[in-house]
Amino acid sequence: MSGAGDWLAADAVAMAHAVRERQLSVTQLVGASLQRIAETDERVNAFTDVTEDRALRRAEQLDAKLAAGNDSVAALPLLGVPFAAKNLFDIAGITTLAGSKIERGKPAATRDSPLIERLEAAGAVLVGALNMDEYAYGFTTENSHEGPCRNPHDLSRVAGGSSGGSAAAIAAGQVPLTLGSDTNGSIRVPSSLCGTFGLKPTYGRLPRNRSYPFVASLDHLGPFARSARDLALSYDLMQGFDPHDPACVERPHEATAGLLDQGAEGLRIAILGGYFHDNAKAEAQAAVTRAADALGVRRELHLPEVARARAAAFLISNSQGSNLHLPDLKRRAQDFEPLSRDRFLAGALLPATWVQQAQRVRRWFGLQAAELFKDVDVLIAPATPCVAPGIGTEWIEINGQHLPARPSLGLLTQPISCIGLPVCAAPIWGCHPTLPIAVQIIAAPWREDLVLRVGHALQQAGIAHSPIASLA
Amino acid sequence: MTMNPLQIEAYVDASAAALGLELAAEYRPGVIRYFTLAETMAQQVFGLPLDVTDEPAEAFVPISPR
Repeated sequence: MSGAGDWLAADAVAMAHAVRERQLSVTQLVGASLQRIAETDERVNAFTDVTEDRALRRAEQLDAKLAAGNDSVAALPLLGVPFAAKNLFDIAGITTLAGSKIERGKPAATRDSPLIERLEAAGAVLVGALNMDEYAYGFTTENSHEGPCRNPHDLSRVAGGSSGGSAAAIAAGQVPLTLGSDTNGSIRVPSSLCGTFGLKPTYGRLPRNRSYPFVASLDHLGPFARSARDLALSYDLMQGFDPHDPACVERPHEATAGLLDQGAEGLRIAILGGYFHDNAKAEAQAAVTRAADALGVRRELHLPEVARARAAAFLISNSQGSNLHLPDLKRRAQDFEPLSRDRFLAGALLPATWVQQAQRVRRWFGLQAAELFKDVDVLIAPATPCVAPGIGTEWIEINGQHLPARPSLGLLTQPISCIGLPVCAAPIWGCHPTLPIAVQIIAAPWREDLVLRVGHALQQAGIAHSPIASLA
Repeated sequence: MTMNPLQIEAYVDASAAALGLELAAEYRPGVIRYFTLAETMAQQVFGLPLDVTDEPAEAFVPISPR
């Protein structure tokens, strides 16, 4: 490649390899990322903070160690890779905004979140914090305080949410790797709309302490990337129990990156039909067909009572999310995001018995899924009902149903996160004239290896990919 | 269990007052709209017949000293 900027089209594994082979320095690679952000972010609005000084300082340190012949630094798996995190992750020296106006002026975080620390320990370089829906309550990142995050593949459209900046930064070629959170679809929805790979691990797998919570019993953290192998590598590097997250499960490390080349061979794969077909537009159905054809899958399976599981996730989110913000809802409701304020206020009023019933339905649904997974390894479903809507879209039509656009973007993701299953979102092209749409690759709890293997297989087959937008 | 629009308005106003949550006039229609949406979700979860042995998903984990 001729210049450092050309490397921004590569994935993280290729970038780290290039730095290791001295094809470019960490400072050159990080500098190219910072320059790309400076050139493009006025249009995309993915970043809310650029940590330029910190990033350049860290790049210089890494370069100095490489120059001194430090072999352990040279071996770091993410050596020199620029990355960014949704602004609900603590970043030392910056106030954790979680997309809000209310948190502005609060003390800065004193320490990075565990996932940022783990990626930096592996050689990656944090370059900033990313735009999101306020308090993660949304699927579009139309943030009224920061301005909407724009979809790099069509700047008039939403990037998806709530981790919109995390997907848009990759699609815009600003960084190859980001972190986001997913409570009801907030990794998978923006991955679908911006055409990036995304991993929502099993609930309880990655520690969430030192990140701003939304719905404790549903919150997951995970990576976005330009390739399935980057998801696998970063997931492997971020695993590890942390007792400060009460939901984090103490499990042995289970590496996935070395398993990707096993592909989909030997796996029992099926299309998830019924609700997941009926609530998807033609482009979303076509994405599933393309993925299934590439994998040679004809079998279709159904989960029972999916709409009730989605309703359970809705009620739990509405109630737990609002409870967290009740003091501010009482004191300064006017400072909340106008697009979610009324939903937060309503959530504070839900009868306890509704939420308790929702938690019982949730467990019932989890048991049904566990039964299904006795007979199948991987399920394929669309990630969103449609491609990215225009910014400001209020209503969408899905197979004759007139639905509110913002909550409905999570129709197909909510039932799956409700029961904590691992999902790889893989972006499929060619189902819409200009825009991507992703499929969800779903497995039983703790089988991240399977969803990543199938995501990698789709990428190897040329069905799934994550190109940089021209930003024309 | 279905709440009619009047019941929803009465419930929203009474529960907000009981919580000390003042609903500004410009927010109230939106709050009622979203509460109505949540009520349709409640109908969904109560439409599934469950047994007393169907426990909630969340289970408390006792905390040992570390």
